Amino acid sequence: MRRTAIAMILAVLVLAGCKSENKMAQFGEIYRERPTTIYVAPLNDRSLRRAVRTVEDSVYNAAVNTATKQLYLTASDPLVFNGYYVLGPMASAQLAATDGRTFKQLRNENINDYYSDLGVDAILLMTVNLWNATFNTWTVEVEYTLRSTRTGSEVMHTVARATKMLRTDFKGRPIPLREDQQFADRYGCDLETAQRCRLVEVLNQFVLKDLPSGTRQREHSLERYIPTHPEYFNLQINPDGSVMIVPADDEE
Amino acid sequence: MKRLNIIMIVSAALGMAACTGQYKGMPRAEVLTYQTKATYGGLHSLAVAYAEAINAAVKEDTLHPGMYADYGVALALMGRNGMACRMFNAEMRAFPESRGMVTRLKQHLIPDMMGDTLAPLHDTANISQLMGWAYDSVMGAVPLASVASIVDSSDTAWLRMQTPVDSVQQSIRLTANQKRELLAQQQMEATLARQAHADSIAAAKQAKIDARKQAKVEKEKAKKQKEKDRKKAEKEKKKLAKQKQKERQQAAAEKKRQQAEAKKQKEAAKKSTGGKA
Repeated sequence: MRRTAIAMILAVLVLAGCKSENKMAQFGEIYRERPTTIYVAPLNDRSLRRAVRTVEDSVYNAAVNTATKQLYLTASDPLVFNGYYVLGPMASAQLAATDGRTFKQLRNENINDYYSDLGVDAILLMTVNLWNATFNTWTVEVEYTLRSTRTGSEVMHTVARATKMLRTDFKGRPIPLREDQQFADRYGCDLETAQRCRLVEVLNQFVLKDLPSGTRQREHSLERYIPTHPEYFNLQINPDGSVMIVPADDEE
Repeated sequence: MKRLNIIMIVSAALGMAACTGQYKGMPRAEVLTYQTKATYGGLHSLAVAYAEAINAAVKEDTLHPGMYADYGVALALMGRNGMACRMFNAEMRAFPESRGMVTRLKQHLIPDMMGDTLAPLHDTANISQLMGWAYDSVMGAVPLASVASIVDSSDTAWLRMQTPVDSVQQSIRLTANQKRELLAQQQMEATLARQAHADSIAAAKQAKIDARKQAKVEKEKAKKQKEKDRKKAEKEKKKLAKQKQKERQQAAAEKKRQQAEAKKQKEAAKKSTGGKA
């Protein structure tokens, strides 16, 4: 009986693995266009902040602001790790200042001059849709769009909602993870900010590391049939630090 | 079941641990601090952190793309245009695909140094040392003038401070003699370029004069031809008129002859009828 149950679970898992799309199917445009240089555009923050009535509200707003900046700063890491060329955050910010185009213009209008003048193959556009906090759960929703500068088409579009569940002590206060504590020590910030910053870092890693490897890497063509994350998914960081990815249902 | 859960959790944790690895040495904390609160002191510490990070990354061969460019931006914002330019050039040399973007940055931040394409002559350890001095000078440990003299003296000051070899920087570092040779070569190239430019201007002028002369000759030739054609046409016209006149005379003579013949015939007819009568 027990063996049958395990066998059935394994079969379901294998079938679920088969059902998810592979990289070739989801990132077909990337395999066709073969981008090498990606420019991370300044992000579009559509999330709301709290009206400041108490000190807690301003602390929350400051933590969210810092974490949003961290989301922008850490977006280049997974891309670089995958073998793309990405300009650093300081230089990207200066480049955005010289260009002066708004997020909407970068998203909707012709951006072919980025390819012809600057040698950029694709632009990564990030929109923060939501920041939310309940008793022991923090949520952020980010929309990632990679737009080709040659054709203007979207070569990647992912909406991911990351949730961090905190472990609490008997008084209901959150117990920090070791990594969060290390982050707070390294960055010299408070624990709440560190926890949010780590949340967006993990989200960036999970979403952007899912892209195919850069064209100059050997893995580029080898990993075509590896299963990939769905276009809309929920990422959950459990109190023990483990991560779970669940496809978002239609309503979400 | 429990075992399966454990396996899943461990694999997820391992996956996460593998995913969250960053490129070594990127001074994220300083960048975040500067982005959150942009101050001059923050910019200084950011530049120092970048210098140290580049130094370490070059030694470990884990240079993050865009690191030189970021350091260059920090230096340019601090007003150290010469060093910023060299960092931009180093970025272009290390990552040729960045050329378009870095050229735009140079154009925006240090437009007067667009022609300078030299990469760093000294190793990055020395840069961080200089940056350290600069930082100290802001904090009051070293007078700013002495820092300026170290940064700007082009001959030997930085050579004396050089540290052991870096693997990647070795290819772009030059010795004092090589530097002198390079300068002489650059001067020679500049002279040759100036001469070539003057020559090209003179050649263009001469070509213009020649073209004008040629046009004049062509014009005269055309004029002559036109005159010739006109004369020829006149001659033909005259010839035609003469021919017409001749024809007219011939026709008149013919008419006269016919009239005379007709008269003769009439007279002959008269005579014949008169005789009968």
